[in-house]
Parts: sequence; structure tokens; C-alpha cells
Amino acid sequence: MIENKQFGLEEGVRNFILDVKYERIHNDIVIEAVKLFKDIIVNVEWTTANDLLQIIKIQGKKIAKNMPLNSSVGNIVRRILKIIREEYLSLLKNKQDESQEESLHKIVTSEGQSDDFNKNIPQLKLAIIDHLNEFETELEGIADNIAQQAREHIHSNEIIMTIGNSETVEAFLKKAAKDRKFEVIVAACSPSNQGHDLALNLAKSKIQTTLIPDSAIFGIMSRVNKVIIGTQTVMANGGLRAVCGTHPLALAAKHYSVPVIVLAPLYQLSPQYLCSYDQDSFNSFISPEGVLNYADGDILSKVHVYNPVFDYVPPEFVTLFISNTGGHAPSYVYRLLSELYHADDYEL
Amino acid sequence: MNNKEIKEFFTAIMQQDSEVSAGIAAICTLLKFLEHDKSETIQELVSKLKTAVEVMRRTDCSVTAVASGSELFLRFITLATLDFSTFSDCKKIMLDRGEIFLKKLQEARGKVGKLASSFIVDGSRVLTHSKSRVVLKAFKEAATANKRFEVFVTKSSPDSSGEEMAKNVRDLGIRCTVILDSAVGYVMEQVDMVMVGAEGVVESGGIINKVGSYTMALCAREMKKPFYVLTESFKFSRLFPLNQRDLPDEFKYRSSTLDKDLRDEHPMVDYTPPAYISLLFTDIGILTPSAVSDELIKLYL
Repeated sequence: MIENKQFGLEEGVRNFILDVKYERIHNDIVIEAVKLFKDIIVNVEWTTANDLLQIIKIQGKKIAKNMPLNSSVGNIVRRILKIIREEYLSLLKNKQDESQEESLHKIVTSEGQSDDFNKNIPQLKLAIIDHLNEFETELEGIADNIAQQAREHIHSNEIIMTIGNSETVEAFLKKAAKDRKFEVIVAACSPSNQGHDLALNLAKSKIQTTLIPDSAIFGIMSRVNKVIIGTQTVMANGGLRAVCGTHPLALAAKHYSVPVIVLAPLYQLSPQYLCSYDQDSFNSFISPEGVLNYADGDILSKVHVYNPVFDYVPPEFVTLFISNTGGHAPSYVYRLLSELYHADDYEL
Repeated sequence: MNNKEIKEFFTAIMQQDSEVSAGIAAICTLLKFLEHDKSETIQELVSKLKTAVEVMRRTDCSVTAVASGSELFLRFITLATLDFSTFSDCKKIMLDRGEIFLKKLQEARGKVGKLASSFIVDGSRVLTHSKSRVVLKAFKEAATANKRFEVFVTKSSPDSSGEEMAKNVRDLGIRCTVILDSAVGYVMEQVDMVMVGAEGVVESGGIINKVGSYTMALCAREMKKPFYVLTESFKFSRLFPLNQRDLPDEFKYRSSTLDKDLRDEHPMVDYTPPAYISLLFTDIGILTPSAVSDELIKLYL
């Protein structure tokens, strides 16, 4: 009986991985992930919180391993683990908001002997599911929450520059355009040229939009008031793993002292550091067809062609992160990390 | 325990085991003092402890570490007294908690070493300054994990403590080069990162460390190399220097030189402002400099 259910669990996880790989999920991946883990929590048999933590960790690791460059699912897993820990402790001690992270204060008061999560609490499942439902609602509202803050950051007649095509940025700009008039300059982000789509969508909603090639970023920057970009991941030190071309953009902005605002939902916050600028494990290289046409086959054997997807942007180039909970300075990211995840889960 | 005994006990710990940090030695001494103390009230106890701290600060050791360690201990006493009404209850709990407290502090170095060693990857070249036990621990962790890397260490005048560090690093089987203090600029282009220890971490997130650390941080910034600080959290202290002159004289000079003409003496430590520090590796996690004040506020509020 249990084996049967375990099999269902393995299959569910495998299907999820495949769905992501073949881009069969049209909904948000993170919401699907929460749904998957909710299924696991409901259907798999477990007795103690520790069992559950182990199950989630193992499955989470499997998923995270299969998408090494997409940290958001891993981050969701860490959030769920933290939620389980929180609910367990609050049911056990009837205490709310007890911080679990290490602190100097805890060392001095010699408290915080960590619990082994081995007590059986019957209400735990219900509490976790409740909390996860809340979390799911929060995730669904994330894009809205970020867009709501647009009015505070975009003012009339400003010139905003962005790069690539981020849905969060698009929603943000459109929201601001409801009651402000401003101009947007979109860098095309070659070779994928995702910027074209963004420029088209913005123009459709009557925002004055200019499309420029990446090579013109520096030249145009002097007249830009603000840079607003999205990112794929926010690293633990406040740096970014963003679409290739973001680093030069940030450098140009720094040169002209233009503020760089990064829109980042909290699930993009990863406890990962970039060690020694280790670009290989950090980046992903895709087919070079965008850089070099297939028709130029003759040169192909004589040159190396690279087409990296990401750029690392160090934290000193970011002025402000806007997440669903408000604005944060890059130096504050460590705090968000300790609030969102438990230190033991940093490595899944 | 009278003043002489305190001094002897403290110096004995420092001499017996070179692995013990001055801060921990101070806390050990204060715990011992607490055990033998016959005070009747908290007030009496605290004033006696303060005298004991004064005694230790006058020995020839790193006063920065002693100061932050004993400050932490006094805070520990204050927090313990808040929970209990009678003095005897209180003292019992202090001694009980003291054990756990000390144990946690002693585990700290290992934790820091583990965190920092993950930043050393194959082929890394690391520059370090003077002698630091916690940096050595990180190197040891990385070497045990079979990482191949190279270390540069400054000779660190005037006590040439870098020579000793180099010997310890070589004993771990790591390739190590001793460089002159004046060659920091020269080697900076060859290294991937700088890792230094700290005698104290101040409230702004800056550090107080062996003189020359600030120069190294300036060079690292100019060459865009990350400057990492490895330190245990008990070295956090409530001090907010804005420049080198703000550092108390007793931090900068040995107590035996304090009564000489200081214009002729050379400082032992300098202050590195937080702007030059990339990250701090501590036993409570990897922190940005701004996190230090957060931790201190949590503790002292």
C-alpha cells in the first residue's frame, strides 16, 4: 500500500521535471511546484515532521538537480521546509514568530537547543496545508504586488531603460502608464532579441517606446533617468544572475550614476553564492545559431562560437530590489534570506 | 580569586594553548572567577567582574579581543539576571548556561572554517595577512577536501607573524609564498581573493586587525578583488570608529608601551572601514558588513 503511494510520488516528481524540461507548463512553474508538494504532503504517509522534511528534501533535491540553472523551484522547496519547521515549532510550543536563525543573542542567552522534529503532532498536516494555501495565494498575487509599487518609482516625463523581456517589468511599466506619461527605451538583447517583444507589447499599450541595439546602451545612457530590469536569480550577496547583457548595462548606468532598480519576486532569492567568479557552473551556453548563421558554415570549423545565457552582476551595481514585500537594498538581502529559509536547508 | 590569580590564570590559558583566542581565554577566566566568587548581590558581582576585566586588559595581549569577549560576558550576566529573582538561583543558572555558552564559542571557529572553505575552489590563489587561526582553519578544511590552491601570506612586520602562518600552511601541504608587506600591491593582480582574520569587528561592520590589513583592503578594492573577513561572532564589539585616530590607544599599543611617548611607537592594529569588505564569514552565517550592527542591536536592545 505504502509502496504504491511512494511510486505515485516518484512519478509525480518525474512528470513535473519532464513538464518543466519540455516547457509543457503554461502556468507559473513555482505555483505548480507548490501544488506538487502539497500533493506529496497530503498523499504520502509520514508520521513526524522529521520524516516529512526528509521526503521533501529528497524530492526537492531531485528536482533542483534536474534544473541547475533555475533556482526558483529549489527556493520554493526551501520555503516549504521552513514552513514545516515553523508550524511544527509553533504547535509544539504554542509560540508564534520564534526566530530559528542563529544569532549572537542566542549564543549569549545559551538558548535555542535545536529540536529534532521527532514528536508526532496530529494537527500538523492540517496546519501545514493551511499555511501552504496561504503561500500559494501569495505567489499568485506576486506580479500584482510588485506592479502596485510602480507609482512610487516612475515619475512623469522620466526616461526608463530596460533590457530583454521580463514579464514583471512589463506589468510594472504598464501599471505606471495608467496615470503617468513616460518614455521607455528597450535594449534588444541580442542574439535572442527578446526586447522586440517587450517593445511591441509596450507600444500596444500606448507607452512611448524606443528600441535600441545593445551596442547603443552606453551612448543612450546619459539621458536615462532610471534603469528597471528583471532578473533570473538574486544571489545571496545581492548580486544578480540576469540575462546576458545586463552587466554592461549596469556598468553604463554606474558610469552615469543612473539608479538601477531590479524587480525580483521573493522566490528568486537564492542562498547561493558565486564563488571566485566561477562562470562555468553558473552560466549556461545555448546553441550559437543566433551569433553565427548556419549559412556561414565555412567559418564554423575555424572559430569558437559561444552563446551564454546569463551575466553575473555584482551587488554594488544594484541600487534597489523591489520584491512583493517592498524595496530592499542589496546589503539587506542576507536578512531576507534568514527570514525566508532555514540555514540547514541552504544546501538541499 | 584576587587580581594576581586572575592574571596568572588568564596568561596560563594563553600560554598553554596557542590555539585559544584571547577573547575565549578572557571568558574562561571570568567563568572561573564566577565559580569561586562569594558575592551576595548582582551589583557586587558585576563590579568585581569589571575589575577582573581591567586586570586582563592590562596584560600584554590582544586587548581588542579581550574587550569584546568580556563585554559579551557582562551582557550574558545581565541577561541571565533578568530571568530570576533570587541571587542564588541566578548564579546557578549562570554557571549552567556558562558551560553551553563557552561550548558554543569554541565550536565557532570550525563553523567559520567550513563556510569559508567553500569559497576556495580548485586553482584559487588566496592572499592573507599576518597570522590568523580561523583563516588557517579554512585552509585546512579546503585542503582536507582535496582542493588544490595556493596561498600568499605577508611577512607582517614588526613581529613577522606571517612566517609562522606560512609554516602552518605549508604543514597542511599547501603551496605557500611569504611576501613582503610592501609587495601587497605587486601580488594583488595574481590572486583571486583576499582572506583575513580579525581581532575585532566594530558596529559599522568594519574590522580591527593587524596593521597592514587596511592597506591590503585598499589594494584589493582598487584591483576589484573580493576582500573576505573570517571571524567568530564573539569578536563583535560595540565600537564605532570613523577613522584610525578613533581607535582607543590601548587597542593600538601593547599595555607595556602605553606610558611611553606614543609618537615614537608604531600601532599594532588598524581599522578597515566596512566599504572595503565584501563579506564576513562568521559562525552565525555569511554576513554583509551591515549585518553586524543588526546582530549587536538584537543583543543589546
